[in-house]
Formats: sequence, C-alpha cells, structure tokens
Amino acid sequence: MPNAILDPTGATRRASKPAAARAARRPSLAGARVGLLINTKQNARPFLLEVGRLLHEEHGAASVTQRTKLNFAVPEPGEVVKEMAAAVDVIVTGVGDCGSCSAAAAADGVVFEAAGVPAAVIVTDSFRATATAMASLRGAPGYQYATTAHPVAVLTEEQVRERAAAVIGDVIALLTEPEPGE
Amino acid sequence: MTEAAPAGQAAPVGQAGAVAGQAPELDPDGAQAAIEFCFEQGWSDGLPLVPASQPLVEAFLATTGRDPQQVIGALEQVGRDCTVYLAAVNAAMAGCRPEYFPVVLAAFDALMRERAARGGGFQSTSGPAPLIIVNGPVRRELGFNTGGGSFGPGFRPNMTIPRAIGLIVRNAFGIHPHVLEQATQGVPGRWLICVAENEEESPWGPLAADAGVGDGVSAVSCTLTRTMEFIDNRHTPNPEDVLRDIADSVGRLGPQIFPQTPVALVLCPEHAQMFADAGMSKADVQDWLIGHSGRTAGELRRAGKGGVLHFPGPDDGSVPAQEFHRVLSEHRQIPVIVAGARTAAISMVARIFGEWSGQAVPVDEWR
Repeated sequence: MPNAILDPTGATRRASKPAAARAARRPSLAGARVGLLINTKQNARPFLLEVGRLLHEEHGAASVTQRTKLNFAVPEPGEVVKEMAAAVDVIVTGVGDCGSCSAAAAADGVVFEAAGVPAAVIVTDSFRATATAMASLRGAPGYQYATTAHPVAVLTEEQVRERAAAVIGDVIALLTEPEPGE
Repeated sequence: MTEAAPAGQAAPVGQAGAVAGQAPELDPDGAQAAIEFCFEQGWSDGLPLVPASQPLVEAFLATTGRDPQQVIGALEQVGRDCTVYLAAVNAAMAGCRPEYFPVVLAAFDALMRERAARGGGFQSTSGPAPLIIVNGPVRRELGFNTGGGSFGPGFRPNMTIPRAIGLIVRNAFGIHPHVLEQATQGVPGRWLICVAENEEESPWGPLAADAGVGDGVSAVSCTLTRTMEFIDNRHTPNPEDVLRDIADSVGRLGPQIFPQTPVALVLCPEHAQMFADAGMSKADVQDWLIGHSGRTAGELRRAGKGGVLHFPGPDDGSVPAQEFHRVLSEHRQIPVIVAGARTAAISMVARIFGEWSGQAVPVDEWR
C-alpha cells in the first residue's frame, strides 16, 4: 500500500464557519439614522456622502453620520463596529475598488448584519468575485451587495453624483427588503 | 545490435533513452499520476508539485523543535492560519529539501512581520512578491546561489523556498487568483524571489546586521516588492554619476502613489565596491539617495499625481511647481543589499510594497 498524498490546505482541522445572522429589515428608511463607513479610497468619500444626502433629503432618513475606516484593506475592529451599531440604524460602506478593500467591505457588511444593523456594501463590478468569496468565508454565502462600474477613482465630482444616484435604488433595497425566503 | 541515431536526431523512445545510473525501482508513471492528482485538487501554483507523503513531511518536521500544531501565522481577515505542519507539507510540495525547512519557517516569520503582508497584501491589485534576503553561513550550508544570476533560476534553495511561501499563502491561507487574490498584472517571478547576499564581495556588513542580527549569524529578512528596475551603468569612473543614475530610477513617477516610495537597493558588487572605494558607507549611499531621489511638484502634476503632495487630501496647488518632492526620508526606507556577480556594473531597484519592517529573523530561532 503506497503512502497517502497529504493535503496542504488544512481543511480537515477547520470547522465550517457558522452561518452569520442577517439583521431584521425595516419597512422603509423613514426616520432611520444612517451611518456611512468610508474606506478612504479615491472618491469613496464624495460617493458615500452623496448617497447619504439622497437618503436624507429624498428618502426620509433622519440623520447621516460618517466615519472613516482605520485601514481600508482589512475589516474594521470589533469596537468600531460596536460603537457604530449602537449609534445608527443602517450602514452604507464602500467603495470597494481593490482586492483587499472590496473583501474588507463585504466582511464589514456581514459583521454589521450580525450586530443587528442592516448594511449596504458598495463595490465596483470588477470585484464581485472577491466580495462574494469573503462573505462566504464570513459565514454569509450568497450575501447581497450593490455594485457600480469600475473604475470610480477617476470620476469627476459630477460623475460621482451620477453614480451615487444610479446605485441609490439598490442601496435602499438592500437596507429594507427581506431576502427571498425570509 | 541497434543502429545509432543519425546526428541531430533524438534517440529512439525506449531503453535507449534511459539515464545512466537511474535506480530501477523509480516509477515515472506513478510519479506522473500523483502530480496530476495534486493539480486536480487545486493545490498547485501552475507548476508540478512534489506529492507530499507522511515520511517526507516527517523529515521536514525533524529539522525543527517546534510543535507541528503551533500556529505560525494567521490572516485574520480570511479566518485562516498556518501551522508548522502545514508549512512542512507545502514546503515539501514546493520541492524543498527537508534541511531547508528552518529557512522556510524563518522566511515566513519575516514575511508575516510585515504589516503589508498581514494587512491585505496577498489580496492586492498590485500583486506584490515577497523579496526574501538570506544572510550568514546557511547560504553555503544549503547551497544557495550567492553569485551571478542572483534573482534567476538554477539553484534549488533560491527557487523552492519562496515557492513554499507562495504555496502556504495559496493553500493554508486560501488566497487564490481571481478570487481573494486580485492582482491586476502582478509581479514577474512572484513567489520565486530569494536572494542570498554576496557577503564575500560586499564591502559592507550584511543586511541582517543592519536589522540588528549579529554579523555571521544565519538570518532571513523579507519585504514585499512590486517590481524591479535595473540600472546599467558601467562606463563612468565617477560614483556620483552612478548615484545620480540610481536616484533617477528611485525617484521616477510611475510608482508614486503615496508621499513616500520605499525601495530596496540591490547593488552589484562592482557598484558597491566603487562607492566603498570612494569612502562611502552604506549609510552615506542611503543619505545621498534620500537627498536626491524624487521629482518636482510640477512633474508630479503633469502626470496627474499632484495628490501625492498632500496625501490623503487633494492637491491644493500650494506647493510651487519647481519644489522638489523627495520620495524617501529615512534609512529604513532604502535597505541596501549586495548581490550578483562582479561581471558588470548592473544594479537593481526593487519597489517595496508598503514599508520594510527593518527586521531579520535568525534561522536558529526556527530549528
């Protein structure tokens, strides 16, 4: 009997990740406190600020607060999540437009959901695979997020506003609609 | 009696093609099937792997006193880690010999001390490569190439040790291309860059000594690099000419996205000796390049990179166009290594992804 070929991935010693909880949805954003988690990538700030402005002025959100991610490349520390989750009703985060930051945005979204806060994650369409993979790793296979065309970093102020307006319907749907089967 | 093949033609397939001295029990068909199995599992970086078996991995584990289940590195963002055992399996698959294993462990330790490696570097669009530098007697003991072709192929430890690190990232951390690994183009030779410093022909102390490890101690340093650019300057007797040439590459616009742009300067022995003969220490070379490497604000703006001047804020135009923007400010941002042969005056500037931690890991810590 020849020797077995050994597995280099360590799959046998890893327990599968328990399913991450998804926050309950509210019927609309009327009166909601919106938290923006800005990842510092070029144009992420004006993009999210415009999303926040639209949610406040046109969709009834009560307030918009913003916070800057400490490091765009990795998920936000637990204490930041806890503070934000206590202060807002919904989260919008992004814009994930690179390998590490799109994955981190998806991971942040899953963590906020588990903390009871509906989250809308925005990544550029080049990074669907990495956002989807990261959500699965975090126990949320099939996690839904919003996309906008890549690239975002080169857009003018006017183009950023247009992009924000184009994605606002998806953001609202992510924050208010139950997932199929819920 | 068989006829000899005509000149210029391959020998016929069959016994005539067998290699003299080959042990009769070697089984190429079984080896090929095992290699294909490894490809099918998704374990490979695209090249054939050595199928790892328990006796082989035990030979690796016997070279270190560490507990096989000790966790030696983790990527928190993906919830994965690597144990001594998994590192051994991947090192075996990469084609390392068992006695390389303490160097693999030291190299992985050095890499994971880099903030950029822990913080998303393996997922980055820039697709950076570990640049592994080996110092001390272990270079000779294991047969590292310390001479010509220092970045190139031909030497088993130089090639298989960085490959082992790449396989650990792929298999233990689960970072696969097109999924969590999102390199736009990546770096040529990613997972294949391991330089043994040419200490014998360097006029200065080894890199590990700059990192605080004693001279003559076997040690490994590591940083992530985004690419390399050569400086071919072999016709001037004037060291300042060569420094100006190097500074031009160090300070060029392409790599500039942040206010500082660290590099590793891999000097050929001829350039290093020229500087030393002119009375320059390593620190003198570093100081000269810190003072002269960069571009003017106007040049940055013409390339659409005025944002570098006020990062992370936008360029407000307050820096005069003629003002020189230096890309380096301290020695740690420009480690100097001497590598290659004394055959031509060709040096290399390696772009550091993020910044080097300034650390070296003694190999004995992993024995």
